[in-house]
Amino acid sequence: MAKLIELEGIGVVYPVHGQAPKTVLAGLNLEIQRGEFIAVCGQTGCGKSTMLRLILGAEAPTSGRVLIEGEVLARPDRNRGYVPQKYSLFPDKTVLDNITFGPEMEEFNILGRMTPKFFRRRRELRETAHALLKQMGLDPMDAHKYPDQLSGGMQQRVAIAQALIMRPKILLMDEAFSALDPATRSGMQRLLRTLWAETGTTILFVTHNLHEALYLGTRVVVLGKQNSQGSSNVIADLSVPASSRNDDGQLRRDELDRLIHQVEQAGEPQLAEAYS
Amino acid sequence: MLWRIDATPGRSITWTLSWFLFIAGIAMYFYASHNRHLENPDDKVIPSLNQLAEGVENAFLKPDSEEAAPDELANASMATKFFTSMLWTDTVASAKRFLWAMLLLIPAVFLGLHMGMFPVIGELFLRFILFFDKIVALSVLPILFIAFGIDELSKIMLIVIGVTPTIILDTFNLTKSVPKEQIVKGFTLGAHDFGVTYRIVMKQILPRVLNSIRLNLKAVMLFLFAGEMIASQDGLAFRIALLRRHMGMNVIIPYVLWVALLLFLVDLGMKVANKRLHPWFREA
Repeated sequence: MAKLIELEGIGVVYPVHGQAPKTVLAGLNLEIQRGEFIAVCGQTGCGKSTMLRLILGAEAPTSGRVLIEGEVLARPDRNRGYVPQKYSLFPDKTVLDNITFGPEMEEFNILGRMTPKFFRRRRELRETAHALLKQMGLDPMDAHKYPDQLSGGMQQRVAIAQALIMRPKILLMDEAFSALDPATRSGMQRLLRTLWAETGTTILFVTHNLHEALYLGTRVVVLGKQNSQGSSNVIADLSVPASSRNDDGQLRRDELDRLIHQVEQAGEPQLAEAYS
Repeated sequence: MLWRIDATPGRSITWTLSWFLFIAGIAMYFYASHNRHLENPDDKVIPSLNQLAEGVENAFLKPDSEEAAPDELANASMATKFFTSMLWTDTVASAKRFLWAMLLLIPAVFLGLHMGMFPVIGELFLRFILFFDKIVALSVLPILFIAFGIDELSKIMLIVIGVTPTIILDTFNLTKSVPKEQIVKGFTLGAHDFGVTYRIVMKQILPRVLNSIRLNLKAVMLFLFAGEMIASQDGLAFRIALLRRHMGMNVIIPYVLWVALLLFLVDLGMKVANKRLHPWFREA
């Protein structure tokens, strides 16, 4: 598999007013191959979201570099889809308009949006959006609702559809399901795995929940504090082969125990304990 | 029970409470007016109902005495009389200035939006606007009269100087309050800087900006009135200042109520427009 993302010696230091600067990440190295489903896991404050923002291009590292397909990219772009935990949809747009926003922005400038071609294309995009909504398990009646009229789970489904319509090379999800109730969360996890299997999109999913990480990822990267200054780095990089799963996608018990043992050995007993 | 913070007053109590102070105020006015007229039947300070009716007729149905042509209007309809009346002439004069001032708030909104979105523009203007905001607009009135003369421009400039810094800073703060996630999301959906600025951020803050302008309507009127009272040949405030010299309270009071009604209608119009234009927006 070809390398898609490379993190080379990444360091992130934040200035803190009146105190010593805070080192969040130090010397982080990571390679992600095309088509992988990476679940990044770790306790609160270990730099998971910072790592995601670096890959997204929303933040620049203090040291080191982030390469996407061998190139340093300065800011977020259409090749990297993003589903955050909150504010994932534009509140002023209906579900349909949220989903078609990206292609419309990309294909038409302000003058182009007044041409017949735009309206023809818009009809096509709306059909695609309806198909995506169906794939996400949403009712067509929801298409004309505003985000605040949807439940948290429905909002995240729309946010995934909004990102997927752009066919991004990488889909970055930051604690995307953490605000959902357990039943909705479980449904969303199944949906995401199905979508990943169907589209082959490289997914980087940040979560503080080891259970979620082990269920979703083909590879689980555990970040943890490494030194007294609180800087984090990869403390476990676990491969979760498809052969270790049952038909329903759940890990076999022996495989699960092995992975949890590895997390414990890596120095994150609390994370492992929370699952076992 | 009614005094508890979790009280839920019924419809009749709510209606009574919300109108009580109006009714009490009107009753107190007429009580005071009655007592003053017992002492002096020609009292002008607190006009009686008859005096007020006469004042309303003069203001609403008769032209300004200097331009009067009473014979022509003697048999005219009520509508014709109203649209040639002193009040209507003054209203049109003030409304023109008001509309100009409101139009000049549009660039203020755009400046605030760009200050919030583009750090370079923000750094260039923010300190200056913050300083400008602290200048008491009325204190620069003499400078405006010297610089722009005593005609329309100085009055409009007074409103602009008095209100635009607030609108610019409000828009700037509203722009800054849009979650970063939304901006990042915009980029990941193929939008560029101006796409994010106008199609994501501006659309989200616009209803709040309109609310901010609504809250500043009274300030707009305040500066408009200050300008008109000091140097003007027409307008609602000019008339009120003129009538003050003649103790014309029976016309001043209807004028004040008319201004309040106009302001209420403008505010209501903006509120309804805001709701229609932004059906997604829920006021806090």
